[in-house]
Amino acid sequence: MSSATEQNQADQGAGGPQLDHPVREIGHDEYDPIGTLTLIMLYFLLLAFLWVFMYFVEFLGNDPTVIGWIGTGVGMA
Amino acid sequence: MSDATVNDAAKTTESTTSEPLGETYLDKFPAEAKVVRSALYSSFLALALGGLFGVIQTLHRTDFLRIMESETYYTVLTAHGVFLVIAFTIFFLVGVFTWAVTTSLDREVEDIRFTWAWLGTMTAGAAMAAAAILAGFTDSLDMSADVLFTFYAPMQAHPLFYLGLTVFVVGTWMAGADWFRSWFAWKKENPGERIPLPTFMVLTTMIMWYVATLGVATAILAFLLPWSLGLIDSVNPTLTRTLFWFFGHPVVYFWLMPAYMMWYVLLPKLSGGKLFSDPLARVVFVLFLLLSTPVGIHHQYLDPGISEGFKFIAMTNTMFLLLPSLLTAFTVVASMEHGARQRGGTGRIGWLKALPWRDPVFAGMALAGLMFAAGGFSGMINAGMNINYLVHNTLWVPGHFHLTVGTAVALTFMAASYWFIPQLTGKKLWNRPVALVQVVLWFVGMTFMANAMHRAGLLGMPRRTAEPQYDGFEYEAGVGSVAELDAQIALGGIILTLSLVLFFAVIIGTVLGSRSDEVPANGYADTLSGPEDSPKILDNLKLWFGLAVVLVIIAYTFPLLSIIERGGLFGPDITAFPQSIDIVSMAWLTVEQYATDTFTSATEVAQATIDGVLR
Amino acid sequence: MRISTEGLLIVLAFTVVLVVELRTVLAWFNLELTVFESLMFSVALIVAIVVWALFPQDGSRDTDASGSS
Ligand code: HEM
Ligand SMILES: [Cu+2]
Repeated sequence: MSSATEQNQADQGAGGPQLDHPVREIGHDEYDPIGTLTLIMLYFLLLAFLWVFMYFVEFLGNDPTVIGWIGTGVGMA
Repeated sequence: MSDATVNDAAKTTESTTSEPLGETYLDKFPAEAKVVRSALYSSFLALALGGLFGVIQTLHRTDFLRIMESETYYTVLTAHGVFLVIAFTIFFLVGVFTWAVTTSLDREVEDIRFTWAWLGTMTAGAAMAAAAILAGFTDSLDMSADVLFTFYAPMQAHPLFYLGLTVFVVGTWMAGADWFRSWFAWKKENPGERIPLPTFMVLTTMIMWYVATLGVATAILAFLLPWSLGLIDSVNPTLTRTLFWFFGHPVVYFWLMPAYMMWYVLLPKLSGGKLFSDPLARVVFVLFLLLSTPVGIHHQYLDPGISEGFKFIAMTNTMFLLLPSLLTAFTVVASMEHGARQRGGTGRIGWLKALPWRDPVFAGMALAGLMFAAGGFSGMINAGMNINYLVHNTLWVPGHFHLTVGTAVALTFMAASYWFIPQLTGKKLWNRPVALVQVVLWFVGMTFMANAMHRAGLLGMPRRTAEPQYDGFEYEAGVGSVAELDAQIALGGIILTLSLVLFFAVIIGTVLGSRSDEVPANGYADTLSGPEDSPKILDNLKLWFGLAVVLVIIAYTFPLLSIIERGGLFGPDITAFPQSIDIVSMAWLTVEQYATDTFTSATEVAQATIDGVLR
Repeated sequence: MRISTEGLLIVLAFTVVLVVELRTVLAWFNLELTVFESLMFSVALIVAIVVWALFPQDGSRDTDASGSS
């Protein structure tokens, strides 16, 4: 009873009315989730940025904790 | 999204006479629908109460409106925590799981009386625990449970609280047995077939739950309950805490996995597409089953008495949990994109506009998922051992979990209710625009509240306190001022409360409405790549259960042994709080002590003076 | 209307996130807005979005809306 998705039903109670007729049918092989890739790359960029941001909050905004100045960690001082 | 035309289309669609849309859940499973409905109503009651306490404590700790004494704060906070993360979430998910098993196996429960029995057991347990908590508001009863949802010793609750929790958990165990029973019966009739995805999700989640609840069951039955009954004098707080978190992390996944299930099996359908991959979904649930218990110690990075090494292992396991989380992000987004493209969406980003944002069920879940991505970041901070020291026990942590359980789970459940309640009552959703405004308001309110909570946490503002500010101490505000952060938290809390009010308006409006045949048919999303593509071994639940147990044994044996070795099974004679000695005599004792001390020192001074004079 | 009312609602919700987070991010670049300034900024932004959304799309009902945003 796993209903198929060729939906004309989901909309009335739930989906938007424009859902009435799917514009096209995309099968497994034609589907290329490029938009998903884009979003995920954006998310990773954001994460990377936030990690850098965190470094400033944690280590420069406050006194160094636990491992000290990063230079000591990488052998620069 | 092309505007005007779409709007016109909307009008015409809505006014056309409705043809029957297929069988709703109520049509197909009337008896089960009643059980699921009751479970959902119980969860909504808990949500209403929990939300009320939420806004009370928000306005109290930010000092905008104080309708109680600060001494009562823990009663309120306990009620908020327990009602929301134990009652609201779990009542909702047992309803959803019952829907999932019956729908996907396409069979009724084996014995509806047993189904009612577990729901009754859970309700009785919840009522007992709630009574113990709420009794804390009145002095006329010698009963309280102001122990927060973590019930750390030496804080002690009335035995009724621990008993209630136990009965509640036993109810969930029975529920799990019910679903396994359905599956066994189905398997006999369908030998060799793959477990339908929703049932697979329910079963893996329940196996995780059985393993996890052994921790709290031990903590409560062996230690806390006997201690609160006076059968034993003391407990080892590190031990009961560790047993709590043995359960406390997997319980997070117990909330999340039903939300994931909604994202995997409903969201793609609502987006007009198919689930991207059934095998990936199965892998994700198996990984959660395996990894969610052996990480509990990551909540105890700052607990003394557990060595750094064990904490480090817990941290490593935690980082592995990122894998299924990211797989979920990928699968869910890819399924939505599939829907959007089938609906005519184009472009790298532009397809997002083709999603059915006007549908509150879709919009709510999508916004919930988005907030979860933000919560994922603060979660990574929490998970890192050294960075955790920065935010531990600060308001950052509630900021984090209001994004996860408080939005990813709660908002998904609220949005899902807009789909389930029509299914369960046969009534059309009352007022979709209001429902849409409701989910958006939750998103906006949480943006304000969680952002300010995170920032306040970075300043070191503690959580779990009625008085975060006191004389003689000032926070060094980074960006903005403390007053401004408080205002932002309070603003967020008020918007959230407004959103809750709208939620109940929509639910009550729907339930009071009349039967309609415009309710969509029951069902869930099809898959682009189905179970036939996934290795058979994924369905070997015995194997995963065995592995999960082995991992737990590896992760917990040595920490538990070393805790017991250090502190003993019953700990170093701790004193329970609240104490049974009443406050008045305590105060009197203090005054007396003080008087004696003053007197003694006065005599000493006098003595010294006399000595000096005499010399 | 250039986008549907529901679409506008969602866009405004995302705008709130943007302005709330932007203040923290800007502070990182030593650009400290006061609450009042950022409030003004967000009001201006929201008004701009609403005006953009409500503005008739040069009369024509051409369905190629993907040029916006
Ligand atoms: C109206 C909406 C809500 C508001 C205004 C709100 C507000 C708050 C605040 C201010 C705190 C921190 C209190 C403190 O540490 O002193 C808190 C704690 C908490 N909230 Fe909420 N919250 C809301 C909704 C939710 C939801 C939906 C959930 C979960 C489903 C939730 C779960 C929790 C939990 C588990 C705690 C921690 C309790 C503890 O520390 O023992 N809240 N809430
Ligand atoms: Cu955890």
